[in-house]
Amino acid sequence: MKNKFPWISMLVVVLGAITMIVPFLDMVFTSFKGPSELKSVYYVLLPKTFHFDNYKEAFRNMNMGRLFFNSIVVSLSVTISVLFTSTLAGYALAKLNFPGKNTIFKIILITMMFPAFLFLIPNFYIVTHFPLVGGNNLFGEGGSGLATSQLALILPFAVSGFGIFLMRQFILKIPNELIEAARIDGASEFRIFWQIVTPLTFPALATVAIFTFIGQWNEFIWSLLIYTVNSDLATLPVGIQMLQSSLDPTRTRALVSAAMTISVIPVFLLFVFLQKYYIQGFLISGLKE
Amino acid sequence: MSLTNRKNEILMAYLFLFPTILFYLIFWLIPIMFSFILSFTEWSGFDLSLIKWVGIENYKAILSRGSTFVNPVLINTLYFAFGTVILSFIASLIIAFMITRLPFEGFWRTLYFLPMVTTVVAIGNIWKFLYDPNYGLINGLLNKIGIQPINFLNDPKIALTSIVVVSAWASIGGAVLILSAGLKAIPEIYYEAATIDGANIFQNFWYITLPLLRPSMLFVLITGLITGLQSFTLIMVMTTSGLGGVGGGPANSTNVAALEMYNQAFVFGSWGKATAMSFILFVIVFLITLIQLYIFRKGGVEEY
Repeated sequence: MKNKFPWISMLVVVLGAITMIVPFLDMVFTSFKGPSELKSVYYVLLPKTFHFDNYKEAFRNMNMGRLFFNSIVVSLSVTISVLFTSTLAGYALAKLNFPGKNTIFKIILITMMFPAFLFLIPNFYIVTHFPLVGGNNLFGEGGSGLATSQLALILPFAVSGFGIFLMRQFILKIPNELIEAARIDGASEFRIFWQIVTPLTFPALATVAIFTFIGQWNEFIWSLLIYTVNSDLATLPVGIQMLQSSLDPTRTRALVSAAMTISVIPVFLLFVFLQKYYIQGFLISGLKE
Repeated sequence: MSLTNRKNEILMAYLFLFPTILFYLIFWLIPIMFSFILSFTEWSGFDLSLIKWVGIENYKAILSRGSTFVNPVLINTLYFAFGTVILSFIASLIIAFMITRLPFEGFWRTLYFLPMVTTVVAIGNIWKFLYDPNYGLINGLLNKIGIQPINFLNDPKIALTSIVVVSAWASIGGAVLILSAGLKAIPEIYYEAATIDGANIFQNFWYITLPLLRPSMLFVLITGLITGLQSFTLIMVMTTSGLGGVGGGPANSTNVAALEMYNQAFVFGSWGKATAMSFILFVIVFLITLIQLYIFRKGGVEEY
């Protein structure tokens, strides 16, 4: 259905793109606005002078360093854990023979059909009442369980059915002859996994890594719940929300915008440079069933 | 392979799967059984010894006539999910058609995709500011053409629709990606052949594009519906200020099932009711998932 240079298409797509971009521009520009522009009833997109002290204030008021640290630690830990467990499980399910193999794979597929909201309530109890940690006794009473450290934000996301599925599908395509040859040469099962299979899975690892990292960086509701138990564990999304109630209402918009800009821009850069991998992950995560 | 090697392989496999199995036991199987049991009890979430068995009372109360969970909460949920899906679908179908004919297609698609990688907290707050009746961009523009400010988020008649628009806006990028990929998979030669046989552009669309794009369209619609039925963080962010409030207002007009579940548990401390709600919502979502499975049984796994 190709036709000459499609002016109407161009117009519609560009108009659409503007509605995609303007909200983010508004966020960035609002973060630099001064008090008079924030209170003005005549809306302007661009501030006359750029007020960087909004950022200073946001850093001071919301302990941004702490939030950034928590977000980085949690997102990186979850990503590493997911990569590690997905590769191990994916390899076992793709290339090793053992009783129960198909059943385990089917169970993992079935778990992915259960939406996350089902686990919010019971996992909150389990994490805060984890036995023998964080001052808890054997029956999970007395302390705050895993919520004494970032583990509370990491462990419930440490394994991903999507990651295992993706790694399995990818490893399946690695020829068996390669593995057999190594076996005949006397390589141990672990060496085969670590030195032959893992290096070949790079594209799949990159997909799982970038998809997991961005997802975790943006995660909000679980972090919010853990924050209610231990406010030291606030991540950036929780911090943005937190900032709203604490400050004078007219400046709030600028400070919240500054905090949002700081948390959104790194992800944009990551996405723009690694979007090939991210999009792969997006497509497969929808098609998993 | 010798017997020791075989044993070795089995041992290795279980060793490799150990972290995964342990995880699913602790954070999947135990919680879901625990939650299911809770849905038949009355409990405030603190002291397990105060738990009270009430049988199916929670389910009965939630689904009874006059229950706020059915009206307005479930009705809002359906409105939110279908509204988002339909709006996003129409917009992304148009964009997908046009984008595939443009130079720099990848660049445009990237722009449309940005909201998909933005935390919902930022999306919600950005739009809260855009919607602001006094200082926001949208009312600023309306003001210029002489329209009175609209209170998008505080008027119960339009609050939910205002949030639906945001939710659809944020999901267009993903749908455009899938639909434009589907469009490009249709061989150009079909259109050429049809045009030679005298088909016009509308016949081309009706007899070639629509049937061949059907899998992609169904996929976008169904996954969008599944996501829409369970989403609540956007509404929570846009209808509360800070971390304190309950959300779903004004006057329950934006309250949806998953938000009500969250509030019942973590604000009102009715864990029994909350878990019962989660299973009711789950049944609805699961039925749609099964329909999706049925439709896409032949594709999916084998394709990737």
